[in-house]
Amino acid sequence: MTTTLPTYELTGIRHYYGDKLVLDIPELTIEQGSITGILGPNGSGKSTLLKLLAFIEPPTQGQVLYKGRPELPFSPTVRSKVSLLTQKPYLLKRSVIENIIYGLKIRHDLKNHEQRVQKALTTVGLAYEAFAFRKWHELSGGESQRVALAARLILNPEVLLLDEPIASVDIESAKLIRHASLKARENFGTTLVVVSHDMQWLNSISDKQLSIFQGNIFSTGMENIIIGPFDGPDKNANLVKHLNDGQAIFLKSSDKKPGTAVIRKKNISIDLEPQADHAGLNQLSGHIASMLLEKKSGHIMATVLIHDLSFVLRITPDQISLLHLYPGKKVILKFKAEDVDWI
Amino acid sequence: MDFLVAGFFKAFELLISGDRSTWSAVATTLKVSTCSMLFSIGAGLPAGFVLGYFDFKGKRQVRTLVDTLLSLPTVFIGLAVYAFISRQGPLGEFEFLFTITGIAIGQTILAFPIVTAITASTIEGIDNDLKTTLVSLGAGKRNILLTCLWEVRFGILVAAVTAYGRVMTEVGISMMVGGNIKYHTRTITTAIALETGKGQFADGIALGLVLIAIAFIVNVSLSFLRKQ
Repeated sequence: MTTTLPTYELTGIRHYYGDKLVLDIPELTIEQGSITGILGPNGSGKSTLLKLLAFIEPPTQGQVLYKGRPELPFSPTVRSKVSLLTQKPYLLKRSVIENIIYGLKIRHDLKNHEQRVQKALTTVGLAYEAFAFRKWHELSGGESQRVALAARLILNPEVLLLDEPIASVDIESAKLIRHASLKARENFGTTLVVVSHDMQWLNSISDKQLSIFQGNIFSTGMENIIIGPFDGPDKNANLVKHLNDGQAIFLKSSDKKPGTAVIRKKNISIDLEPQADHAGLNQLSGHIASMLLEKKSGHIMATVLIHDLSFVLRITPDQISLLHLYPGKKVILKFKAEDVDWI
Repeated sequence: MDFLVAGFFKAFELLISGDRSTWSAVATTLKVSTCSMLFSIGAGLPAGFVLGYFDFKGKRQVRTLVDTLLSLPTVFIGLAVYAFISRQGPLGEFEFLFTITGIAIGQTILAFPIVTAITASTIEGIDNDLKTTLVSLGAGKRNILLTCLWEVRFGILVAAVTAYGRVMTEVGISMMVGGNIKYHTRTITTAIALETGKGQFADGIALGLVLIAIAFIVNVSLSFLRKQ
């Protein structure tokens, strides 16, 4: 029996821009043929992580193993196996067909290139006759994004890294990009890492979701981040975050300097009424903003708005039915003050 | 005003009839400016690329120096080149003084900082995502360099045209280093200066029209290339 090595194994990654630590990833594994979704706010380190995975930048500290091999210095071979589609894809000031075959030209692999371009354009939903000979400036944002994706797909990369691929495209383009990405895995076993703000879209495409905040990766997907400042500590050694609607969140203070609090969604429960005896328990009143089906687990990912803070938690279908939950319903979120991680 | 109108008619007559002294000045100008442009682009393009693309110690100082050289007066360049190539100068043995080569050396010095500075600015303006895109498509160092240059080809054309305009219209270097010798080193600009001084407006206007026509052709060509 042969074991398949993971596509990526990252260990002890600490990456700096100047003095600023932008990525701190003790360990991360990405399996071959998987689709990994990465969520996170702007400036959290998502694009930097993709650059490390694309072998464009080496990490300041730590190691990136590609299929079990350390890749430093970056060889042209490994770079040719991984392709990154940046957030604002750069199209060369040439025609669509020349953009798509650029990577093939570099590889001296122009055999049947017209048919291959035709196939790549069809995969991203663009007709060869209508688009192949258009100039770069004759394309809309969504079309440019799809041409850039076609330029990567034609290379049949082992890994395709997509940075916010649907950030500035219409619904139809987002659908086509999703379809083309899934097709790449289906046809060539391509490993995909997709960064997006759109939790729903990401959920529809990825097998596994990670979230990233201030350079820290959470392998459990989207988690709840509470940014300071905090008051206290109070008599119970809790730090307090006061919300403008009069509610307060109590969080066990840490030995190290508290910066940003992370409340894991597994530690949050949902109810309709507050509990009478609630020592050490946060009970926050809010409304369900959205509910999203996690296809793989069958659970529901709910977003609850507590004044201006947004919390996500995973709910079972049974709970939904028992509590008659629906978007807009008033609910109580409960979690212990001690169930907090500080980053 | 009558003399100006008469000058225009005379100018066309001189150009159409193929007046030897007029066309000699045109030919000398084209020869010397083409030569100086070839050298200044040959040296200025790589220098501008290095200055715009790479980070190195002293880059800011070099950039300041190149920018300062943009405003170098042509008479100063003429003086410096004259000093170097005159008989008692370090390059006197080559006998470049009062030759087309001498003017070309001076004009190359004039055009070099223009080509370098505009190329460097163009390269600095390259989209940050271009290099990332090229690497992610599998491009190596050589392909990245060539593709970057191709991507900014319009900016480089602008650098060349700007330098060409400066070279074509300068008087100081051609006059001091070339000596304004008829049928030999007389260029359009030195001829205009001379003919106007002599009150021969028709000759001056004829040559001025040629200068404008050349500028027009260069700009139309640039516009055509942009559309391609």
